[in-house]
Amino acid sequence: MRIIFAGFGTVGQALIKVLRQDEQRIVQAYGFRPQLTTIVDSQGSCFDEAGLNIPLVLKTKEKYGTVAKYPGSGRRNDDSTRIISDSDAEVVVETTPTNFKDGEPGLSNIKTALSTGKHVVTANKGPLALAMPALLELARHRNRRLCFSGTVGGGTPFLDFAAKCMPGERIARIKGILNGTTNYILTRMENSSLTFQKALAEAQKKGYAEKDPTNDVEGFDTAAKIVIIANWILAKSFSLRDVDITGISKITPRKLRAAQALGVKVKLIGRIEESSASVRPEEIRADDPTCVPDTLNALTFSTEHAGDITLIGPGAGGERTASAIVRDLVSIRKEYAV
Amino acid sequence: MKFGGTSLSQASKMKNAAKILQKFSASNKIVAVASAIGETTDQLAAIGELAKKGDLKRARKLLSKVQASHRKIVPLIAGKAGTRELLERIEQLNSELERTVEGIAHLRELTPRSRDYLLSFGERLSTPILAETATATGLRTRPFTGAEAGITTDDNFGEAKPLVEISYHQIRQRLEPLWNRKVVPIVTGFVASTVDGSITTLGRGGSDYTAALLGAALAAEEIWIWTDVDGLMTADPRIVKDAVLLPNVSFGEALELSFFGAKMMHPRALQPAAQKKIPVRIKNSSHPSVNGTLVSASELPNGGKVVKAVSLIRDVGIVTVSGTGMMGSPGVAAKVFQTLGSNNVNVMMISQGSSEATISCVVANKEVDRAVRALQLALMGQGFVDKIAEEKDACVIAVVGSGMKGTPGVAARIFTAVARRKVNVRMVAQGSSEYNVSFVVSHTDGAEAVRAIHEEFNLGH
Ligand SMILES: NC(=O)c1ccc[n+]([C@@H]2O[C@H](COP(=O)([O-])OP(=O)(O)OC[C@H]3O[C@@H](n4cnc5c(N)ncnc54)[C@H](OP(=O)(O)O)[C@@H]3O)[C@@H](O)[C@H]2O)c1
Repeated sequence: MRIIFAGFGTVGQALIKVLRQDEQRIVQAYGFRPQLTTIVDSQGSCFDEAGLNIPLVLKTKEKYGTVAKYPGSGRRNDDSTRIISDSDAEVVVETTPTNFKDGEPGLSNIKTALSTGKHVVTANKGPLALAMPALLELARHRNRRLCFSGTVGGGTPFLDFAAKCMPGERIARIKGILNGTTNYILTRMENSSLTFQKALAEAQKKGYAEKDPTNDVEGFDTAAKIVIIANWILAKSFSLRDVDITGISKITPRKLRAAQALGVKVKLIGRIEESSASVRPEEIRADDPTCVPDTLNALTFSTEHAGDITLIGPGAGGERTASAIVRDLVSIRKEYAV
Repeated sequence: MKFGGTSLSQASKMKNAAKILQKFSASNKIVAVASAIGETTDQLAAIGELAKKGDLKRARKLLSKVQASHRKIVPLIAGKAGTRELLERIEQLNSELERTVEGIAHLRELTPRSRDYLLSFGERLSTPILAETATATGLRTRPFTGAEAGITTDDNFGEAKPLVEISYHQIRQRLEPLWNRKVVPIVTGFVASTVDGSITTLGRGGSDYTAALLGAALAAEEIWIWTDVDGLMTADPRIVKDAVLLPNVSFGEALELSFFGAKMMHPRALQPAAQKKIPVRIKNSSHPSVNGTLVSASELPNGGKVVKAVSLIRDVGIVTVSGTGMMGSPGVAAKVFQTLGSNNVNVMMISQGSSEATISCVVANKEVDRAVRALQLALMGQGFVDKIAEEKDACVIAVVGSGMKGTPGVAARIFTAVARRKVNVRMVAQGSSEYNVSFVVSHTDGAEAVRAIHEEFNLGH
């Protein structure tokens, strides 16, 4: 299996390490050797038909900040869609930064990959949030896989749980906490009476929140996950514009305390109902199983016959996301023998 | 809104269409869809056949007729400034069209792919002309091919199926921004492209299908189909003098009416609209103020009447398969339909005798012989079937109305009314949808039966 990396940041680098560490096990268990032939980052690309030298790639990236300096085949300012369409590789792993405005560069990368007959594994939620029904249709049309385990519950396999453990069950509604950063902020605001700004600063210091926290605190990250879950588990043709979104930046410690007095907590809840979806701060009972603290995530499936089922677990990080991507690669291998 | 070929067939009609666009764009966001002008699509198809046979002379002659008709219309509709530019565009397309025809003639081959490419010129020529006509009235417009607008299909040339989610996504991306700049996109009907960019056509229902897809993608409030009639009628006015316009029908009823021959949208074309519950309005471009017929998801009764319309399809025949051995051999019916299907015979109605010893199918007159031959080959001499009989020159009467379901006695009223006029019913369809009752009578009785039912249910008010 020949693989192109589009994006080579935290997740990309974690993935390459996991693949190297687990190489023997993967070869033995699944009989295939993932071969990284092309890497594209924001400044350029490198390429080796026979497989890139991984330690050298990592060293180059660390030293120069870009793979464009990779000895021999490193090149600057390449167009990633051209590289993808010209390549003979079988799989594209897409981990460029999330963009909820137009999905780029990920959206074009994924479209190009599927159109030219390559499987795609993405950790990038942007393209799915904006165009998931279209991308799934394109994948079906081209008979290729579009995998995205790393986008939702890279840490806790919500998607696989619903798909594999609940077939035949009719899931009527889904609600949950899907963003560790905002959950941490709300927990801190409530427990230590911090203002939103203070709690955010603390989350940033601890590495839970990004420098630009907009996507997390304004609810877009949760909404993107809701879109993916709605499409994949409930077969709804939703995209980001169908989700009614409110973030947590306007919440005050006073409001949280008032809620506490009533035995409820304010959480950023993503919800999928019959024909609508929303992300907004909601008051939920403190003893509701969905009501988890800190950076934890929780998702409750309301089923017709089995009642409510809640899955609780950690959110994603670079390495967990990398391991979700490996799972996807293995499942592509099983289905297509590439 | 979509303009049919008859609504664009000459300069004055083009101008009329532009006026309609101008009028309604003042307070609405509009996307226009253009069909090919007049008979262009049929002419292009004929040119293709001639070229394939190597008859380049006649192909060229017809071709220059098509080219000239588009060239001629330009100075009549465009402003001074626009004329030159548009003429250039038309000539460019004309010479591309010429090369295509030459290519087909050289190879003596017309593949579904090259046929789609050839047919696409009808809309590709009409669209910039409509756009320029509208520009001359002061509107800001921009012409698009279906592919440029984002309509993407599978590779089934000739009757390509849209990849709807991809299309919806791209249509939104490409057309919505124009509205903010107050530009009216004008899109070729019928024409789309594959993921790789080869031109495809949407086949039957063509331009209406385009309009429905665009409307569904953009969450339109209504989809308007401009044509040369006021809308759907309670019956063919040539048969029933007091037939009246139907103000509204449901998607289900429209489906039955279109299946049974009413001159309107192809069922395939209605699908995207029905799915997103977007009403489709059929309007007459010569009488834009008439409300036309609204096809929508709601099943409004027509002033308390259970029946809405009655339609007549002429030129059909009945093929009857019978044999005592068919009783208790469940595979025979399936074999009949499979045989007819694989021989491209379209079955309009079926009926099975209560003894299970006969199966009758209604097919078009011109398909009767083919059907009989195919069935003989497939079924005779195996012990089940003794006889395959045919009757030609019959007609089907379809009585349509959603109010019929759950209203007892409708069928009885229909058949009593028909019997009173001494019309002999030859066959009744079974188990078809709850929106219609249909039956077969001799072709000499058809009109009388329609009138009887129209009167019985008071459809003419
Ligand atoms: N980190 C996580 O825990 C996590 C978990 C789940 C999902 N995700 C998602 O996974 C994706 C990657 O996350 P990350 O943490 O690895 O982000 P990151 O560290 O910022 O890495 C992004 C990578 O994309 C490259 N890139 C940027 N613009 C590009 C362009 N135009 N063409 C090609 N490459 C381009 C960057 O190049 P440079 O190296 O030159 O800057 C960088 O290598 C994001 O969409 C994120 O939302 C991350």
